[in-house]
Amino acid sequence: MSQPGPTPAIRLVGLEKHFGDVRAVDGVDLEIADGEFFSMLGPSGSGKTTVLRLVAGFEQPTSGSVVLGGTDVTGTAPFERDVNTVFQDYALFPHMSVLENVAYGLRVRGVGKRDRTARAREALATVRLEHVADRRPAQLSGGQRQRIALARAIVVRPKVLLLDEPLGALDLKLREQMQVELKGLQRELGITFVFVTHDQEEALTLSDRIAVFHEGRIVQLGTPQEIYESPQDEYVASFVGTSNLFAPEESRAVLGRDGRFALRPEKISLSDGDVPPGALSARGVVAETIYLGTGRRVVVDLETGPRLVVLEPSTVPTAVERGDKVVVAWRPDDLVALS
Amino acid sequence: MTAPSTPVVAAPSGAATRRASSFLATRPRVRLGLLLAAPLTWLVLVYVVALAALLVTALWSVDSFTGEIDRSLTLDNLREITTESLYRTVTLRTLGVALLVTVIDVVVALPIAFYMAKVASPRARRLLVVAVLTPLWASYLVKAFAWRSMLSEGGLVDWVLNPFGASTPGYGLTAVVLTQAYIWLPYVILPIYAGMERVPDSLLEAAGDLGASSGRTVRTVVMPLVLPAVLAGSIFSFSLTLGDYISVNIVGGANQMLGNLVYTNVGAANNLPLAAAIALVPIVIMLGYLAAVRRTGALDNL
Repeated sequence: MSQPGPTPAIRLVGLEKHFGDVRAVDGVDLEIADGEFFSMLGPSGSGKTTVLRLVAGFEQPTSGSVVLGGTDVTGTAPFERDVNTVFQDYALFPHMSVLENVAYGLRVRGVGKRDRTARAREALATVRLEHVADRRPAQLSGGQRQRIALARAIVVRPKVLLLDEPLGALDLKLREQMQVELKGLQRELGITFVFVTHDQEEALTLSDRIAVFHEGRIVQLGTPQEIYESPQDEYVASFVGTSNLFAPEESRAVLGRDGRFALRPEKISLSDGDVPPGALSARGVVAETIYLGTGRRVVVDLETGPRLVVLEPSTVPTAVERGDKVVVAWRPDDLVALS
Repeated sequence: MTAPSTPVVAAPSGAATRRASSFLATRPRVRLGLLLAAPLTWLVLVYVVALAALLVTALWSVDSFTGEIDRSLTLDNLREITTESLYRTVTLRTLGVALLVTVIDVVVALPIAFYMAKVASPRARRLLVVAVLTPLWASYLVKAFAWRSMLSEGGLVDWVLNPFGASTPGYGLTAVVLTQAYIWLPYVILPIYAGMERVPDSLLEAAGDLGASSGRTVRTVVMPLVLPAVLAGSIFSFSLTLGDYISVNIVGGANQMLGNLVYTNVGAANNLPLAAAIALVPIVIMLGYLAAVRRTGALDNL
């Protein structure tokens, strides 16, 4: 887990962006270390994409500053910044061949034809698409276009690569495959990746650190484990993965404690009476069971009122049914106190 | 395309209608025939037949004593317009005016269209579209006469230019070019605007992101992508100017364009066959222009 070093690749100071009355970005302070795989996670409208566009230079902040590698670049144009973007719609130039697309960044920098062709082919090799060099973007599949967009962005060797929901348009299978490729590419190139996504699973699997966005602010910043295991508040607990949330009155009824708590479904076990030593338990009735393939989701109505979702791994042979009386149990450590 | 199956509960308006509907639902060719019969008849009649009539008329001649049309076929008219220097001069003049009008319109339209499609707020964009379309509601004649009055001695143009030591160009080819460029401008702006709008913003951002300055982005990304739309717009200004004879009568002074020659031969000179032959000239030029433009894909933008 990399921690912010002495000269971070990106430093955002008091960043704000207003569109009319809407505060799309409402005071973001952030340091992203060199070589880090950093994700900005949040639902649409949470401000994560606007932050990315402020870093790229497509938007200028209302206030605050963007510092790249120690240089304040606030107020400079995109072409003056040493960052490159992989766009959500890939933004490949339809009138150029794949090779011309990839070589574009070198061409506008005045790199000679022979040199830029060689480097573009090299970048195409990195994403294993040398064989489509002479085709047009329209002749490629979504996954191929995605990789061309990557090749086009890395060919100019930026210090930071910004990725705006790059896998959003791909189907599940391809997305999982591209996640592995992205991670490998980042390790190989050693450049900083800033990855914007609304897919919490994607953020958890790929990132060194994650910033969870809500209404233009960062609500929690930490490693995937920290975000998942100790969500700071109800918003993070319910947005990242699923959580059973206990409101103050429910906490008193079920747990006999004051405050708000979250409990992950997979941390709860089901039994017909035996409770492991040291565990907390409650009685309830099964309201619904859903088969998931990898396991079963069991919804339990507790006698004390609230409804709990339990995730049973498929290795557990007990198959409870609707209407069964059960005992749910969990370790006290697995309860997360929310602010 | 599959025909939607007729639901049993549908067709409230009686069994006959229902039978007709289900008959049509399963016969796509009959449906297509009914849909296109009327417009196709119209097109064939007014378009193809009229064009053929024009071509045939050009091969007739007029008896110079009686003024009667002689319907035996001859190539005399075509020979006359290709050899007489008058027709060559007028054709070149018309071509020059049409090209100049087109160049001016494209140069003026490009930045306006870019502003409308990529810079203006949605509200400003709507206002601009209305502003571009509004002149089309005014009569052609009114606009031509407005220019006549503006270009007159002591008119608006004089009033604006005199303080700078310049004066109105007066009536002549310059006035024709100005008037035509003004009148056809909306027809050039609209297709270019539509073409610019089809270029995703992300392409412009991607070019900047990869290091291209704004000018470079316009040259390497915007222009290649809107070129077909520019050519589509130029087809309008070029062909409309090519066939015009009204504004040249109003602001053109003594100058003649192809349209005037057609007009005089139909009317005063009473030589319909020669008029038809002259009318073929802009048609041939336009076909050549369209053939050249077709290679760029501009016809997909009309």
